Amino acid sequence: MAMKKSTIQVGGKSIVIHQDGSGPPLLYIHGIWDIHTLQADPFPFHEQLAERFTVTMPVHPGCGESTGMSDITEIEDLAFHYLDLLDALDIKQATIVGFSMGGWIAAEMAVRNPERIGKLVLIDSAGLQVPGTLVGDLFMYVLHRDGGIMQELRELLFKDPDSTIAHEIIPDGRVNIPDEVLRYKSVTLAARVGWEPPYLFDKKLLGRLHRITSPTLVLWGEHDRLIPIANGHAYVDNIPQASLRIVKDAGHSTIIEQPAACVDHITAFLETGKLPVSDTPSLASAG
Amino acid sequence: MDTAIPATTPNRANIFSWHFMPWPYLDESFEENYESGWVTVPNSLFDTDKARGLYQEYLDELSYADELEFDGVVLNEHHQNIYGLMPAPNLLAAALTQTTKNGKIVVLGNLIPLHFRPLRVAEEYAMLDCMSDGRIVAGFAPGGGHEPYSYSYSMPLARERFWEGVDLIVQAWTQPGPTTFDGKHYTMRYVNPWPQPLQKPHPPIWIPGSNSPETMYEVANREFCYFLSTRGKLAGAKRSAVRFSEIVEEVGKKFHPHKMGLLFSVYVAETDEIARKECEEAVFYFTRYCLKGHQRNAGRRLTMAPGGLSPQSWQMYLENSVVGAKMLGDAENWNDIDEMGSIFVGSPDTVYEKLWEFVTEANIGNLLIQFHIGNLSYDLTQKSQRIFAEQVMPRLRADSEKLFGERFPITIADNVPA
Repeated sequence: MAMKKSTIQVGGKSIVIHQDGSGPPLLYIHGIWDIHTLQADPFPFHEQLAERFTVTMPVHPGCGESTGMSDITEIEDLAFHYLDLLDALDIKQATIVGFSMGGWIAAEMAVRNPERIGKLVLIDSAGLQVPGTLVGDLFMYVLHRDGGIMQELRELLFKDPDSTIAHEIIPDGRVNIPDEVLRYKSVTLAARVGWEPPYLFDKKLLGRLHRITSPTLVLWGEHDRLIPIANGHAYVDNIPQASLRIVKDAGHSTIIEQPAACVDHITAFLETGKLPVSDTPSLASAG
Repeated sequence: MDTAIPATTPNRANIFSWHFMPWPYLDESFEENYESGWVTVPNSLFDTDKARGLYQEYLDELSYADELEFDGVVLNEHHQNIYGLMPAPNLLAAALTQTTKNGKIVVLGNLIPLHFRPLRVAEEYAMLDCMSDGRIVAGFAPGGGHEPYSYSYSMPLARERFWEGVDLIVQAWTQPGPTTFDGKHYTMRYVNPWPQPLQKPHPPIWIPGSNSPETMYEVANREFCYFLSTRGKLAGAKRSAVRFSEIVEEVGKKFHPHKMGLLFSVYVAETDEIARKECEEAVFYFTRYCLKGHQRNAGRRLTMAPGGLSPQSWQMYLENSVVGAKMLGDAENWNDIDEMGSIFVGSPDTVYEKLWEFVTEANIGNLLIQFHIGNLSYDLTQKSQRIFAEQVMPRLRADSEKLFGERFPITIADNVPA
């Protein structure tokens, strides 16, 4: 089924939505480096997901061709925006997959209106502050070093910063102005909600995770250097029904580096409704 | 508003002495060991024995500029860096209110987004205006690239908070209090600051910008002075000045060169040869160390913090710039310095000619000149300022008065507030 593109109004914002595939419905909330922010077109991950599900992929306010960036000054604004979007799409209860900043948004939605979310998948998700760990300095590394080198950003985002895909997605120098503008919008939105506190967390979220009623699958790239895996443990330790699966051979860009593994994990969880056994003992049960 | 140019202001180029107050005691090992002079440069390099007396020396250099009858002195605000030890410029301005008598004291500027409530800035400038008998020029800035990292604040939000904060401050100075203020980022029940500035309706306001049309429009609409913070060649300055003057006219106001300022560095001595010899070490100290992390490709440059420009302005920037293009800090020799067109070193004639081009071709009415460069000694800084004041400044003043009289005559009508 060909991808459909439409635009809806949500709270005065004009929001572009891409829809693809067939099967049970799934709302995908994108990350900072993802569909709509690196390129308008889906990555293999989104295409493979669309082979199993009807995937709805809205574009964040102010990213791509969506408008309304100026309404967003903190993460809560995005959480309420997406709850409003569920209303606008007449979705009573959604299955949500959120990646990176998208996972943070999904978690913030779930602690506010747990009944609106059936099943939840968080992939390498921001949002928590885990003592003793720091989120990588994406706002610093998004800038060139030595007059054009982006190696540090590739190191933050990919298991292997020297891989072809890492260089394709984050090239050195200046390659393609439209793509750079897409990326700039995305980083600007991330900076609006995630620069303070530094970086990309909401101090109150951890203490609210107990409100989440959805079975929650947490996927994490084994080598995520942007959001340390301790954040994944913190999610599963504090969400009542949650499991962590670690994706091998992936950094933060799990969906780009290991699309098939991600889709397999998601499909197994959503089709059976059963949470897998966590890959590593959670911090709580280890204690 | 502050549109009116006071009748007492001479209709000629204003010339200011600007001090950056850098840390002057780095050696060669800095280049090898540190990626930047900003944000992450370890403060263990700050040697308290060497620091003793440094502020006194720097303040002396500015007080001397006032004795030499410059139109004013300039300070600015930066944090956690070796480029400028002025995280709190108003403290230095306060000292200067007591050691200077004639010229303006320009603070360019206070960083609004660092304040929980920008009212504090209105209060401090008002105090300084009283303490200086009405000699304060109030600069406001959102923070360049580095400050959002240093203070962990969001660059794109700073942009919005900045203009709202500026409007709050102007309200605090112009509307009889108590008033209320209700903005997106700042909401105040009582706006009623004591003291009030002496200058009416309020001190002149200067805003730095780096060519983004948004800033130019905001400045033009409010009839403030636009200070072009990107150093650069004559051609670039000219383009900016033309663009800004067009925007001023477009929003229905009148352009005058006093609405625009530009930064230069100058070292002047008896001859070109002597000048180069005396300041060479200092100039390259400045470009290699102070500009590392700022206007230099090598290392980690933080000047373009994400979200500081709108996506439209960012696209414009991408379309009009070249990645890795040589910046001032990349200069390796005197040819490069000359090519960059921002640091002028030479005899009084040489320096005059360079600066005059900016006045006559770009209509720049405020020349903001850095005399203390890098690790330049006290004696040489004073010598350069003295020769400049005696042999360059009078010519620039006389020639610009003639020029502005022809191109930008000030009429009585200009002095009547709208």
